[in-house]
Amino acid sequence: MSETDTAPAEPNEAGHYAIRLQGHLDARGAARFEGLTLTLEDNGDTLLTGPVVDQAALHGLLRKVRDLAMPLISVTRISPGQAVAAEVQHRVEASGVDQGLKKEMGC
Amino acid sequence: MASPILATKLYIPPPPPQAVVRPRLIERLNAGLHRKLTLIAAPAGCGKTTLISAWVAGWAQRDPLVRAAWLSLDEGDNDPTRFLTYLVTAVQTIAPDIGPGLLAGLQSPQPPSPDVILTALLNDLTTLPDPFVLILDDYHLLDAPPIDAALTFLLEHLPPQMHLVLATREDPSLPLVRLRARGQLCELRASDLRFTPAEAAGFLNDTMGLALAADDVAALETRTEGWIAGLQLAALSLQGHPDRPGFIRAFAGDHRYIADYLVDEVLQRQPAPVRHFLLQTAILDRLHGPLCEAVTGQPGGQARLAALERGNVFVVPLDDQRAWYRYHHLFADVLYAHLLAEQPEQVATLHQRAGAWYEQNDLLSEAIRHALAAEDFERAADLVERALPAMRRSRQEAMVLGWIKALPDDLLRVRPVLGVGYAGVLLASGQLEGVEARLRDAERWLDPPAGIRERPAAPAAAMVVVDVAEFRRLPGSIAMFRAGQALARGDGPATVHYARRVLDLVSEDDHLLRGGAAGLLGLAYWASGDLEAAHRAFAAGMASLQKAGNIADAVGGVIALADIRMTQGRLGEARRTYEQALQLARAHGDPVLRGTADMYVGLSELAREQNDLEAATQHLRRSKEQGEHTGFPQNPYRWRVAMARLRQAQGDLDGALILLDEAERRYVSDFYPNVRPVAAWKARVWITQGRVSDAFDWAREQGLAVEDALSYRREFEHLTLARVLLAHYQSDGTDRAMQEAQGLLARLRQAAEAGERAGSVIEILVLQALAHQLQGDLPGALAPLQRALALAEPAGYVRIFVDEGAPMAALLQEAAHHGIAPRYVRQLRAALGQAADRPPANQGLLEPLSGREREVLRRLGTDLTGPEMARELMVSLPTLRTHTSNIYSKLGVTSRRAAVRRAQELDLL
Repeated sequence: MSETDTAPAEPNEAGHYAIRLQGHLDARGAARFEGLTLTLEDNGDTLLTGPVVDQAALHGLLRKVRDLAMPLISVTRISPGQAVAAEVQHRVEASGVDQGLKKEMGC
Repeated sequence: MASPILATKLYIPPPPPQAVVRPRLIERLNAGLHRKLTLIAAPAGCGKTTLISAWVAGWAQRDPLVRAAWLSLDEGDNDPTRFLTYLVTAVQTIAPDIGPGLLAGLQSPQPPSPDVILTALLNDLTTLPDPFVLILDDYHLLDAPPIDAALTFLLEHLPPQMHLVLATREDPSLPLVRLRARGQLCELRASDLRFTPAEAAGFLNDTMGLALAADDVAALETRTEGWIAGLQLAALSLQGHPDRPGFIRAFAGDHRYIADYLVDEVLQRQPAPVRHFLLQTAILDRLHGPLCEAVTGQPGGQARLAALERGNVFVVPLDDQRAWYRYHHLFADVLYAHLLAEQPEQVATLHQRAGAWYEQNDLLSEAIRHALAAEDFERAADLVERALPAMRRSRQEAMVLGWIKALPDDLLRVRPVLGVGYAGVLLASGQLEGVEARLRDAERWLDPPAGIRERPAAPAAAMVVVDVAEFRRLPGSIAMFRAGQALARGDGPATVHYARRVLDLVSEDDHLLRGGAAGLLGLAYWASGDLEAAHRAFAAGMASLQKAGNIADAVGGVIALADIRMTQGRLGEARRTYEQALQLARAHGDPVLRGTADMYVGLSELAREQNDLEAATQHLRRSKEQGEHTGFPQNPYRWRVAMARLRQAQGDLDGALILLDEAERRYVSDFYPNVRPVAAWKARVWITQGRVSDAFDWAREQGLAVEDALSYRREFEHLTLARVLLAHYQSDGTDRAMQEAQGLLARLRQAAEAGERAGSVIEILVLQALAHQLQGDLPGALAPLQRALALAEPAGYVRIFVDEGAPMAALLQEAAHHGIAPRYVRQLRAALGQAADRPPANQGLLEPLSGREREVLRRLGTDLTGPEMARELMVSLPTLRTHTSNIYSKLGVTSRRAAVRRAQELDLL
């Protein structure tokens, strides 16, 4: 899945971004970054994905990251589709359905 | 500005008790002192503030002469005026006599530009005998470009005894690359600030008294990577923990964001009341015993805070009395996030309690902040209304705008005083949009529909007024703001209309409004050329402002009054006006009153006109000594124009042009009509230098033409155009130029005489005389000259004649022969004699013509036109004009015909 799928929108308009941080944020982290989906990766990173209204909003987010003192690994523009996929994945994991499925399927 | 809050910003925090000593870093900081800037750039929780405070504390032993000024920055400081105010205040903690008048200037309605303030500050700082350090903590909270620009300016001109330290979470927009390359930068970054394993051990075991095994220390050090905040939180979690190894193992194996994880741990380890306290006070910027009690509902707030400080629980004292503290930023952020997650419904209540406490203690800014955070908009609106007058006086419009923008619109609509106040703040910030709507909304409460005097039925539509006194002044205030709007739009008649309304509506003793309205009237009349009415209005305005106690603005109006008198040819009155104002300013002496520097510039101009060049120079020097910041914003511009004219009088035309260029760059757009723009001054210098085509270009660019309708605003420019035409006639001899010039001059004279602008009339008459002279019509020249002399003599004009140079000298010689104004003419001729640098006419050439010039001279004796000559000689027209100008100068003539005649006399052809 190409992470740098170019969105047709103007750079200054709404886009979707994936912000990768080193370290896991918990539910409080999600509250800090309202509107973004929080995915905890196995390698110890946190992925924040979702819509960002414009550049000013993006810089505001980055400032919040700065104030956490968590290392910022990357900021990538993604397609809306990728953002939705991340959110679906997050919901599935949160609901525990996938754990149940994995059990059933013997993974 | 509440003084307890201000004091906390300037407080030099002491290092925490038993802090880890970090000699390697201290040494680097010491070594960096001889450079300009120490930059400590690292994320939150890396120990920046602690390190600097430990360093400062160490000086007392090492080098007691070095002093530190500290400024802890807040988000609200992100406004250039506010930042500079705090900067000056911080510096004054170590040198109280520095920069007198700077704070007053910053608080005034038209503050000087940051460069002017900083220049004055730097000049004073250079005189300090001992080295000192200015520390700016949390610089990342400021991101306004003007502030970065101000700091860049400061760094470029840093006095040798000054050192700057910036602590920040991100690299600032300053010329770091340049500073690094020049060895002017000392840097400490996150990798430097991390605890080494040895330091980590020292912290955990000695400072926190944990007595951990080496393995455990290593595990913690690895997991936190030496991040000090992490180690501090870990230490707090470990204190009294039942299962230390278990904790450390769990922690080391966890990926979670350290701060969240450990603050959880720390909170769990606290007794319930402490936990309660920590979470609930997380909403506060600053902690204070009684304030915390009000917010938490728990007694013993002061004791609680002291205990937290002793326990190293991330609490930082903000003063020596331990009255105020704050949480370490990172800790507060995490606590707050925790509070939001755990008890979101509590947050608004907590803010409300904080707001109530601040309100009871008259700290309105903080009260408003909390009311807005609690979304208690009604209360916030009431508080803003109460705070408005003081905020306006102390120039904190940006803050007020922020507050009001956070309020819902329908709240503003039922609060006429607040709405009008908002309009005023918008206007003061130069934002015209929305002003009219606010004024109309407010007016509905003043002029209810005919017959209906009671409130409408629905209570939600009831009017709310907090500041009743202000409500009574509303009609006058609204008219005043309408006048201001009209002025900003350039609508003179509307300005006059509304300003008059203010004077009708407002009570006799509302001096502030009356003064303001009269000032606006003055400006409107002035722009339209009704000088006498303008003078009356300004004088009345100044009297009112003085009664209102607003001496600075009263003095400022003097510039307008004197300028008007000068235009009216009443030089003596102009001088008296300046001198009286200077006396008034001196009586109010300390600090130096705003406008003093301007008075000296005015006196210099008068001295120059009367040919006392020595005095003129002195006055300009004195103006400079006062400092640009003691003048109004236009002062740098006016000073340079005055100096340029002085240089011109001294014969240094190139110097004059350089100054005029500088003046142009310093021009500040304000409401005073710019009747003598720099570009026109430059054109006049060009004419004197013979650069007639450049002058023509100027006229074209300005859209000036002889058939223009005349107005006072462009009188000076039209006069300059007439000069250009006369110069053109002089070099090219085309009749059309002369006709146009004379036609224009005749019309200008009519307008100036009708407007009673004697000063302008004299100049016009001089030009008319010179025009006749150029045509060889001496009797025709004498008539206007005689009239000019008659007008000018009682007022004491000199340079208006002398500036015209040799042609005028010749005319005055004629006038002397005819016995016109003998004493005056003698005085003027003597002045010209001193200014003259040409040999008397019949002594041959002191300076021989160059080869090129002889070639040009030969062609002058033919029928060739200027362009034809230029083509033949293969030079550009400007070059040709330079040659002819030099030829005339060397021959002591002013026209082509005369040059040819003289050349024949001297056998040069």
